[in-house]
Amino acid sequence: MSGVRWVKDNSLSLGFGVLFVVTLVGQAFSGAAAFNADRISEGLEQISLLRYVTSSSFAVDMMENWQSEYLQFFLYVFATVWLIQRGSAESKEPEKTGIETDREQKVGTYAGEDSPPSVRADDWRTTLFSRSLGLLMGALFLLTWASSSVAGWAAFNNEQLGSYSDPVSWVAYLGQADFWNRSFQNWQSEMLAVGSMAIFTVYLRQRGSPESKPVGAPHHATGQTG
Amino acid sequence: MPLRRQRRALATLGSAVLLLTGCGGLSDDEVGRLAEKFAGGDAGVRCDLLAPATLATLVDEEATACEVAIDDVPLGSGDLMSVAVWGEEAQAKLSDDTLFLTRTSAGWRVMAAACRPQGPDQPYDCQLEGS
Repeated sequence: MSGVRWVKDNSLSLGFGVLFVVTLVGQAFSGAAAFNADRISEGLEQISLLRYVTSSSFAVDMMENWQSEYLQFFLYVFATVWLIQRGSAESKEPEKTGIETDREQKVGTYAGEDSPPSVRADDWRTTLFSRSLGLLMGALFLLTWASSSVAGWAAFNNEQLGSYSDPVSWVAYLGQADFWNRSFQNWQSEMLAVGSMAIFTVYLRQRGSPESKPVGAPHHATGQTG
Repeated sequence: MPLRRQRRALATLGSAVLLLTGCGGLSDDEVGRLAEKFAGGDAGVRCDLLAPATLATLVDEEATACEVAIDDVPLGSGDLMSVAVWGEEAQAKLSDDTLFLTRTSAGWRVMAAACRPQGPDQPYDCQLEGS
């Protein structure tokens, strides 16, 4: 495969990969500026960009967003197995709720020659592979949520000391409003985004996008994309 | 799991925690040494170890040189009991005082001293602090 063809075939992940790096760099610079503005107002010295991106403040700002994104996809992947939104491009058709038949899912005797090896094996690997997307999203959510709790704990204690208060333990931090405020403020936006997409795609279109129904598709048609 | 893999896994996990928390054991030693130097030092040593904002506040409020003004502050001189470092800030508890320190370009400096606890979840009341 030529390089140009490879880039074209992977343009979606590459494009968002570049956007991720660009926006993360933007977050680093703007976060450092905001952090240092606070330090100056408190009569403290500014810190370098390198010191900021290795600080708990930067880490918690990053992790609290990552954990909510993975929670969103974890819930979305599982919820759409059983929950439907009639007319939505984001939903299955009502008669297909549940994990569907082996024939529909092309497993067991219905697996094709080009099905992934784990499917053709037709054993525990198939069972695991059948749930691998949700399991990975769930694992990444738990990992990043744990990471955000650790980074948030450190950032919280940094602020505690800056305001002449005692630092707290990690367990005590899990009971602090700061931890739950960070979690819930991120979670609410993710749930809003999924819910919005589910209902918007009933009535609105984006020609050419697989996230939208075809422009001429009726509002009551469910699960059509493109 | 073989012992070597267990140790490697623990080391990786520990490194991740240190990276996420911005902590380092070396800072604990630096803060401890500085706190002991502050506690055991004379007025001149203590003034040299004050953070710029704290030094400026002390001199402005007392309208006199730091070495004179600092003698009126009820600073402790007891043994170092514990150190806590979180990012750019630190706390050193002496047997008779609590210090709050901040990292500057010149190293750790005392931001607040002569601090007394006010109760759970309350900030310390510090008689020497930067404004």
